[in-house]
Amino acid sequence: MILNKESVALMQKKASQYPRRKSGILPALTIAYRQVGHLNDQIYREIAKAINVPYVEVAEAATFYTMFPKQPTGKYLIQVCHNISCALLGADSLVEYLEQKLGIKKGETTKDNLFTLISVECLGSCATAPMMQINMDYYENLTRAKVDKILEELRAKA
Amino acid sequence: MTFYSPVITNAAEVAGSDKLHLFRYVEDANQTKIETYESHGGYGTWRKVLTTKKPDDVIAEVKASGLRGRGGAGFPTGMKWGFIPKDSPKPRYLVCNADESEPGTCKDRVIMERDPHAMIEGMAIAAYAIGCHLMFVYIRGEFGHCIETVDKALQEAYAKGHLGKNVYGSGYDLDMIVHSGGGAYICGEETALLNSLEGEKGMSRIRPPFPAIEGLYACPTIVNNVETLTTVRHIMERGAQWYRTMGTEKSPGSKIFSVSGHVKRPGNYEVELGFSLKKLIYDPQYGNGILGDKKLKGVIPGGASTPFLTPDQINVGLDFESMTSVGSMLGSGAVIVFHEDTCIVWAILKLIHFFRHESCGKCTPCREGTGWLEQIIRRIEHGGGKPGDIEKIEDICGNILGRTICPLGDAAVMPIQSAVKHWRDEWQYHIDHGKCLVPTRFEFV
Amino acid sequence: MSTSTTTQPAVKMVTLTINDQSVTVPKGTTVLQAALGAGIHIPTFCWHPKLKSVGACRICYVEIEKMPKLQVSCATEATDGMVVKTESDIVKRGRKAVLEFILANHPLDCPTCDKGGECDLQNLTFAHGLDDSRFDFLKRRHIVPGVPSTFDDLRIGPEIMLNRNRCILCYKCVRSNKEAFGEYDIGAFERGNAMEINAAPGEQVANPFSGNLVEICPVGALTNSDWRYKIRVWLTQTTPSIDIFNSSGSNILFYKEDHKNRIFRTISRRNDEIDDGWITDVARYGYQLVHSPDRLQKPLMKKGSKQVPVEWEEAVAFVARRLAEIDDTKGCVCIGGLASPTLDLDSLHSFSKFMRKVIGTNNLDFRIDYRSLPEKPDSAFSTLSSQPFTIAEIDTSDVIFVFGSDLVKEHPNEYLRIRKARNFGRPLVYSVNSFNVKSADVADREFIYAPGTEEVFINGLCLAAIEENPGLSGADGLKRKISPADLNSAAKTCGVSAEDLKALARTLINGKKISFIVGDQVSLSRDREVIAAALCNLNRLVGITSRGQMAALARYADSIGAEKLGLIPNPHPDVKRALTDLWGGFPEMAGYHTEGMFSQMLKGELDAMVILGANPVAMYPDHEAVAETFEKLDFLVVADLFETETTAMADVVLPLASWTEFAGRYVNLEGRIQKAERAIKPLYESKPAYAILADIAAAARKPLFSSAREREEEIEKVLACTTVRPWPGDYLDVRPPAIDKDPAYPIMLIIGDDPHHRCYVTEKAASLVKFCSDAYIELSPELAEKFKVEDGDAVRVESKYGKLMAPVKVSRVLEGDVVFLPRNFSVTRANSLVSRKARIDWVRINKVSG
Ligand SMILES: Cc1cc2nc3c(=O)[nH]c(=O)nc-3n(C[C@H](O)[C@H](O)[C@H](O)COP(=O)(O)O)c2cc1C
Ligand code: SF4
Ligand code: FES
Repeated sequence: MILNKESVALMQKKASQYPRRKSGILPALTIAYRQVGHLNDQIYREIAKAINVPYVEVAEAATFYTMFPKQPTGKYLIQVCHNISCALLGADSLVEYLEQKLGIKKGETTKDNLFTLISVECLGSCATAPMMQINMDYYENLTRAKVDKILEELRAKA
Repeated sequence: MTFYSPVITNAAEVAGSDKLHLFRYVEDANQTKIETYESHGGYGTWRKVLTTKKPDDVIAEVKASGLRGRGGAGFPTGMKWGFIPKDSPKPRYLVCNADESEPGTCKDRVIMERDPHAMIEGMAIAAYAIGCHLMFVYIRGEFGHCIETVDKALQEAYAKGHLGKNVYGSGYDLDMIVHSGGGAYICGEETALLNSLEGEKGMSRIRPPFPAIEGLYACPTIVNNVETLTTVRHIMERGAQWYRTMGTEKSPGSKIFSVSGHVKRPGNYEVELGFSLKKLIYDPQYGNGILGDKKLKGVIPGGASTPFLTPDQINVGLDFESMTSVGSMLGSGAVIVFHEDTCIVWAILKLIHFFRHESCGKCTPCREGTGWLEQIIRRIEHGGGKPGDIEKIEDICGNILGRTICPLGDAAVMPIQSAVKHWRDEWQYHIDHGKCLVPTRFEFV
Repeated sequence: MSTSTTTQPAVKMVTLTINDQSVTVPKGTTVLQAALGAGIHIPTFCWHPKLKSVGACRICYVEIEKMPKLQVSCATEATDGMVVKTESDIVKRGRKAVLEFILANHPLDCPTCDKGGECDLQNLTFAHGLDDSRFDFLKRRHIVPGVPSTFDDLRIGPEIMLNRNRCILCYKCVRSNKEAFGEYDIGAFERGNAMEINAAPGEQVANPFSGNLVEICPVGALTNSDWRYKIRVWLTQTTPSIDIFNSSGSNILFYKEDHKNRIFRTISRRNDEIDDGWITDVARYGYQLVHSPDRLQKPLMKKGSKQVPVEWEEAVAFVARRLAEIDDTKGCVCIGGLASPTLDLDSLHSFSKFMRKVIGTNNLDFRIDYRSLPEKPDSAFSTLSSQPFTIAEIDTSDVIFVFGSDLVKEHPNEYLRIRKARNFGRPLVYSVNSFNVKSADVADREFIYAPGTEEVFINGLCLAAIEENPGLSGADGLKRKISPADLNSAAKTCGVSAEDLKALARTLINGKKISFIVGDQVSLSRDREVIAAALCNLNRLVGITSRGQMAALARYADSIGAEKLGLIPNPHPDVKRALTDLWGGFPEMAGYHTEGMFSQMLKGELDAMVILGANPVAMYPDHEAVAETFEKLDFLVVADLFETETTAMADVVLPLASWTEFAGRYVNLEGRIQKAERAIKPLYESKPAYAILADIAAAARKPLFSSAREREEEIEKVLACTTVRPWPGDYLDVRPPAIDKDPAYPIMLIIGDDPHHRCYVTEKAASLVKFCSDAYIELSPELAEKFKVEDGDAVRVESKYGKLMAPVKVSRVLEGDVVFLPRNFSVTRANSLVSRKARIDWVRINKVSG
């Protein structure tokens, strides 16, 4: 079992709130993602069993939604918004800056397994661009100095 | 204190106005707490409605206010509620659409982060109006902090008896579930949202049947935007007549506009409908002019799915009708400003990449067409454009427009069509010279 | 054979104009269907007549006056006064555009694609497409890791290959799988233009209806590995036939190669009254047993202790002589016969005449299954199983009650029918069984009664109905005839609460049109007469058949035919009269049915048996006892397709031709007579049963018929008799016998068909063996946990009567102390665990370590 007891209990509780159990699939994926940091077939199976829905439907839903990585990532998943409002304020060069600072290319994970860098679609932070999301947290109105500080803090925390 | 976005708002102006209302308390860090909210009269309207008004009165009042949906399509809210079948034995559902994923749009977030109870109160009133006992808010999954804030507010509302069994002793039961999405713009489209809420892939459904007849779990369902439902609370507090003192005849009231891109002061601003777009961009209280005092090149007035306006078109009111008259749409009220250093092909590539990525994949024209368009536009942007590409783009756009299940297909092609129309030479230059007329390079500072 | 007397509410009609033609259709019809009905063709990809419209592919565009945009006709309802154009310029352009989008990423590999010649996309492109592709990029390609093939083919099921490059994402496979079949082994993953169809990750598409997915794929994305690359479709001939592996008789089409005597594949031949165009995998792949290398090729005769091949003449003469000898020495009462209810009408009637006229005995039966019962001509069960039933009536029923049946295994067609009714009409569906069954997934609610309490449950339902509506006629009379006679004790005994019984009774009382299906748990029960009596009472009390239909459904392809032709010792009086008239006489003796014949054999009072297409040694309960019984025979002649446990004991074994090798007629569970045409010539030296019987009769100098025509005319005359037995004129006694239970054997054993097999023959069909090759013990997750076993672990199952070993399959359906064992595998001898004397088959299980 990859999922722990708390996650399973939470999934079951959430699923039971809806008029139909199947509605619990997306909440369950979120719960699993928060515990594990990514999703995979084994997790879909466990979710299907936990909330008693067909396995294939869990897998279909999971692969449809792009928020959940399907492969392990570094401890911190950096997601830079590359959509239009952020791009107008330098999102592309923000990605380059991060690549340079972390010594990796977009899509890669640092050797110490601390950071994975990707870019994503609009995160609803358009008037505070450029921005990035690290795991579940938003970092907005970014500048070089801010980015430096954020990375430092995360490194220190790790 | 829970996290919230540092985005600029015009809360001060709103607080000083006796009309604007949505942003009145959004700079008050305590507003998320139920005590503060109640001290501002919060939940009083819900209590008044539930204990003194009939559901039909609420619908009538909202109809009279002329409120139109703030999610993008601008459909009259009261009229939509009226479509709920009166005699159906099935349960009815209300779903608040907080998927906010249209590029440029970041307004609903402010309400959820800073005034979540106002949304919940609006939802409760709407639920009562349509006879719903279980309502949902569908929040995009990336908004972890919003979900937390709304969840917390919800628990407080239950604890205080504003929700739950037999609310205020009225005999009316009302429950609410916070549902988080998984990263899919299409789930903002109401039928895709309903599928997603049911645990399916977020793929759009063909209409009819419309959600008001067969929505969530095949039961009558109303889907409304966060801002729409929050506004309902204010309309029911102060009345349709008051509401109509704002805005225009056909677009009454106020609305939040997210201003982003090349302006000096990006932010979320609540203004009356019909407010001047130019003023919103240039007035120091709002956008405060173009970044680096460069020349304006174009504006997307209503989020990434609306057609571009050129500088000569911005002297226009921000209301549904005026926007249509200049060939664009009010959409979600996301004003994205581009200055002269922006290559139009570069900008369109960003957009078409987005729509291709977000197409649900159900209907052929959108699924295949967006992919094809992206490949052609990428080739032009990277210097490999071929003669005839522009015409091909126009033709493909024409084959998608109006031919898809849901409006995402239209959304994907309308900005492209307008960009080709307004800046055709720039496209041509790109193809002929294999490079931009305007070398776009936006540095991150 | 419609049973419904209720009048349908008048359907509102609408009239619209399509291409200047006025068309009137019932309200609710789509524009597409209105057009198709009027003979106007509109292309479609994602639409399927038996699935909900999704409007995804967009090829079915039409222009509708007053609507600014093109509309998809498959999802647009026809309304009064609508003016539709299906061939205007704008429609043509729209269609072309969609084709261009679809072809953008569709490979141009038609020459090597197995769908070539029957591909919707190929045909449409030819008819409407552009001359040249404007898409000048690399096409999307899904590469299968580790497979160096240019076809990028992926095996996703025992018989299904997937080529995702060719897939046009109409989603019909995924939709039909979930919607029509209730199966969840194929899905659509990812999104947008990265979307792909595939099996559930790490799993196989192996559901009992999986072959349909290939059939409805409009392109060559899903192909059948049984058939592909063997032959091109334009080099084949087709023959209409029917599915003889189940009692509905789905309509099918065989494909054979022009110049070879070999069937290549089976597809459906849609008949909306029976099958809606869906066939089971058993129907689809079952034909392969015909070409099994194990087919009997020549007659065999026991010489010494060995069976050796002989010529037909010798075998036939020998049989005729031996039967005559036994008749002479011991009398015709000492000869009996069994014929399979999967044989055609000609064979069955020939058998009846052979036994009765040539030999002169009434010792004959077609009930080769489990636990036949003492025969009473007026028995309640005979009544229940002779009632008319119409499959299509399920569509419009508002209450569907399935009692004691796992439909997926017993009546898969009816299962799909109920699913369709749920998708389109929303009836209330109840599934009531003594253990959890897969088919309960279509039910609004599943009720589980305690093992062996069927009649108590039905009594409870009657009592609940009386409580709900005390005015029901004769309620008091009923109460005196049943025990227990109070609702609460009935509820307690059967384990379904009084509240639930009342809710069920209410729906039965209020239902406007009821379909009440009685399945194997009743039909094969030792106490089926008692249960049937309870059901007769229920019908008398609430009047189910006055508002619908109720029947114990026939189980085999020609069970009803056999019943109607009088293949039991004491047939319906009308049938007996007809036969007497035709033959100028009828044996006087009473005759023994299957069970009776076996007892007589054991006592040494029945010395010869003629068996056609049946294998009682492997299928009948009490394996050891039955085998012993057969050993006592002086003379046994068996005709079959294969060597079986029963042929192994025979003095003469005759090779039987299969249903594909001659034209035959079969009567399905509705009483519908259907024909299976001859697809190929009989293989080897096999012959149809009627021909074999004719030969033996001729050798005995008592010819059966003067001509095929005479045979046919006799059959017509007999079939013209009604065999529907009237409901009893009063309430019947229902006193439930006590349930014997030994604590040493705490687990209930269920024996039946694996969803991919039928009886003892399908293990010879290569494809079906790929789905399931061996017996298994399916047990509930609770039992798996208790015995610490997982899939594949061996367990020993033991009853009072025998024991065997099989690998475990942990069930997704079963709950509690119940295990299932398929009866389809000869080496496993499932029938050694069960006894004719028991009502419930109790067993214990042990893990086999090591
Ligand atoms: C592709 C697409 C995305 C949409 N996204 C959103 C969204 O994020 N939030 C929203 O409120 N409405 C969104 N909508 C509009 C909804 O479909 C729906 O019209 C709206 O939620 C109705 O609410 P309203 O009447 O209050 O505007 C979207 C529509 C489309 C076609
Ligand atoms: S338009 Fe795009 S997003 Fe909408 S249904 Fe069609 S494929 Fe899905
Ligand atoms: S057949 Fe109508 S949209 Fe596919």
